[in-house]
Amino acid sequence: MRSRAAASILTGAGFKEVHSMQGGIRAWEGFVAEGIPGAGMAYFSPATRPEEMTTLAWLLEDGSCKFYESLAKMIEEQEAKGVFQSLKKSEENHKIVLWKMYEELSGKPPPSEFPDTMMSREAAGDVMEGGMLISEALKWSKGKNLKEILELSISLETNSYDLYLKMGRKVEGRSSKQVFEKLSEEEKRHLEQLTSLFLKKP
Amino acid sequence: MSILDYFKPVSIWSAEKTRQFLKQENPDEYNLVDVRQPDEYEQGHLPGAQLIPVGEIPNRLAELDSNKPTIVY
Repeated sequence: MRSRAAASILTGAGFKEVHSMQGGIRAWEGFVAEGIPGAGMAYFSPATRPEEMTTLAWLLEDGSCKFYESLAKMIEEQEAKGVFQSLKKSEENHKIVLWKMYEELSGKPPPSEFPDTMMSREAAGDVMEGGMLISEALKWSKGKNLKEILELSISLETNSYDLYLKMGRKVEGRSSKQVFEKLSEEEKRHLEQLTSLFLKKP
Repeated sequence: MSILDYFKPVSIWSAEKTRQFLKQENPDEYNLVDVRQPDEYEQGHLPGAQLIPVGEIPNRLAELDSNKPTIVY
């Protein structure tokens, strides 16, 4: 009922087109993002220029890449191994996309020490998409089955999708918005990929 | 807000309709607002949703673009 009240207020305030989602979050049945409104954004706050945000996103993706790589090594089962190897490759492609985006935005190729020269590595060293620590995620993953690990990966990707969508709204300037629009599109694709894998598993 | 506001007709979208819309549209082209309380938001929300608890909406209208389609839940 809260959403109907909210819709009424907005309509009354002159909003052109307002819809209330029936059943709320319980009806959603999709993957949901967790965390407080600003969660994860702290990583982006020192980065104001689009190139810097691209670099930071690159670092987060790099963290995810390492996470999936470690999982691929840790897991014995052959099929699961393959899943994480492909995810790792997918994250590598993400990094390439971000690399190109940097080039497009700044008009020049990234410096050879990319991303180290852009910002201190310690600041973002052990993080990955979703703002989770790689070491923590790996510790959690030990002894978990593939379905549970896929679930963690999905929640990480959902959180980064959520983060990129919000950042896209928060930043000023067309080019910065474009960075995050492209990123959220990429994350959406990852999410679809992971979800279909998850559904395939018994 | 007047009590009469509750009786105004409101467009209702199913979760499925919402999902289709969010899938097709550019995130820059709509407002997606979670009107529940912060603790509920923290436990889980639709990806990209902005948190504006229902009681705060009248004072926070400026945070939303009134020209864009707005989905609340």
